[in-house]
Amino acid sequence: MTVVADLKTQFTHGVLPVANSDEFARQEFVKSLKFHLASQVSVGNRDAFEGRAAPHFTKAEGRAPETMVDVRKAMQHDPYYKFWSALQRNSQEMMWKSVQLPVERQHDTLTAAGKIAAPRGSLRLNPELEIPRYHRAVDIHCMPGGYHTEFAEDDLANGAVYDRAVYIYAMGRMGPFNSDIGDTTIAYLKANYPDLKPRRILDMGCTVGHSTLPYCEAYPDAEVYGIDVGAPVLRYAHARAEALGQTVHFSQQNAESTDFEDGFFDLIVSHILVHETSHTAMRRIMREAHRLLADGGVVIHAETPPYRDLPAYDAFMLDWDTRNNNEPYWGASHEISAAGIAAETGFDPAKAFEGYQPSAFEAEEARRTKVFQGGDFGGGGAWYVWGVQK
Amino acid sequence: MSVELQKKAKGERPSYFEDPAIDKVLAITLALAGETAVLRDRMDTIERLLEAGQPVTRAAIDAYVPDQAVREARDVWREVYLGNVLRIIHQEREELARSAADRRPYDEAVAHVEDPVAAGA
Repeated sequence: MTVVADLKTQFTHGVLPVANSDEFARQEFVKSLKFHLASQVSVGNRDAFEGRAAPHFTKAEGRAPETMVDVRKAMQHDPYYKFWSALQRNSQEMMWKSVQLPVERQHDTLTAAGKIAAPRGSLRLNPELEIPRYHRAVDIHCMPGGYHTEFAEDDLANGAVYDRAVYIYAMGRMGPFNSDIGDTTIAYLKANYPDLKPRRILDMGCTVGHSTLPYCEAYPDAEVYGIDVGAPVLRYAHARAEALGQTVHFSQQNAESTDFEDGFFDLIVSHILVHETSHTAMRRIMREAHRLLADGGVVIHAETPPYRDLPAYDAFMLDWDTRNNNEPYWGASHEISAAGIAAETGFDPAKAFEGYQPSAFEAEEARRTKVFQGGDFGGGGAWYVWGVQK
Repeated sequence: MSVELQKKAKGERPSYFEDPAIDKVLAITLALAGETAVLRDRMDTIERLLEAGQPVTRAAIDAYVPDQAVREARDVWREVYLGNVLRIIHQEREELARSAADRRPYDEAVAHVEDPVAAGA
């Protein structure tokens, strides 16, 4: 990919909304606020727990808090935790506002930039596609309108909003191309499936393609496809991929049921998709992956760690998003076991895997807190991957 | 402005305080803190343009792109600024850290007298 000298800013590709100096300052403030909350304020929650909430719990229940549910019961009314939560929620809402303003101002130019005369890749939209209920019910992670709402004809506004917001949300820790989850998943695949030579790769729930594009470089002989339910993010993903000189075939499809042929893919990937689906949808997605994979093919999902791998307090803090950031499936999705779901969906559970892979973007610039916690996305310095080989 | 995007994310907004007005006042206070930081960066831009002997026009200010050194200097300023704005939170955090630390040796002492072997005595 394009070599960048500056690892501390988002790469300005052709469709990235341009912020004027005040708009940029507002976004930088949100980034600083998020970093301050994660590194300076969130730490007080542990002291509130150990010094105040846990002793109260022990006194009331006659035993010390042990599980994540215990910690929640102890902490949910703690005044420090509640105030931190309120600050955290506001930082999220302020982030969306700060990226919406320049997108609103440049909407006409962005829409025009989305129309590509002679593309390398392709874009196939389906206006008849039913948006799944788990995306219609709430706007995930508080992004007004979600991935699918269109505010004008040929609209890509929420793609532009999302691309910029991902950078601010992760406080730049996913690199200039927001590509860390894709790069990290690839590193895991190269280490664990060195002989995998995919003819075709599918990225499910690709949004703006920030995790999709790394596969073009990592597997130059493969055709790369990306699907999502949201038309605005796909229009933007297409324009972004073209601006960055990569060939990807985007189409508007639900990963639970696609129109690709049986065995069409050798590698199916997703990046922080799982927690934005539902119990039923996730199983349908895995059955569809089983249908779409050729023998020997691999499906892999990248996420934040399952709660069973974390101490109860850390699991509680990571679970913040379930109730505070419009992520209704966040909690339940963190209970998934790869072998269990593989067995339910037609795969051989013996070929299932789970693992941790250190973040590929491990520059000093990442300023990681080394903690998995709500409001500190990418702070942990590793991604959890799970999947199965067919 | 050619399009107006949706302002509120669909889904019930959690309330964090007994009086919903407090949720609103906190949101407004944080937004004001943000707008003050925006103004401060604009002042900083004007000062830097003046120092460099460049024309100080609204167009020049709006188009100003801070380089890495300027961005880092502003990051440092905002970190101090947030420490000032959120002073009351940090006061409480300091107090909580003290009482958590006070409790730790006491819990260890309790464990010690109740079960010296498990406590490593």
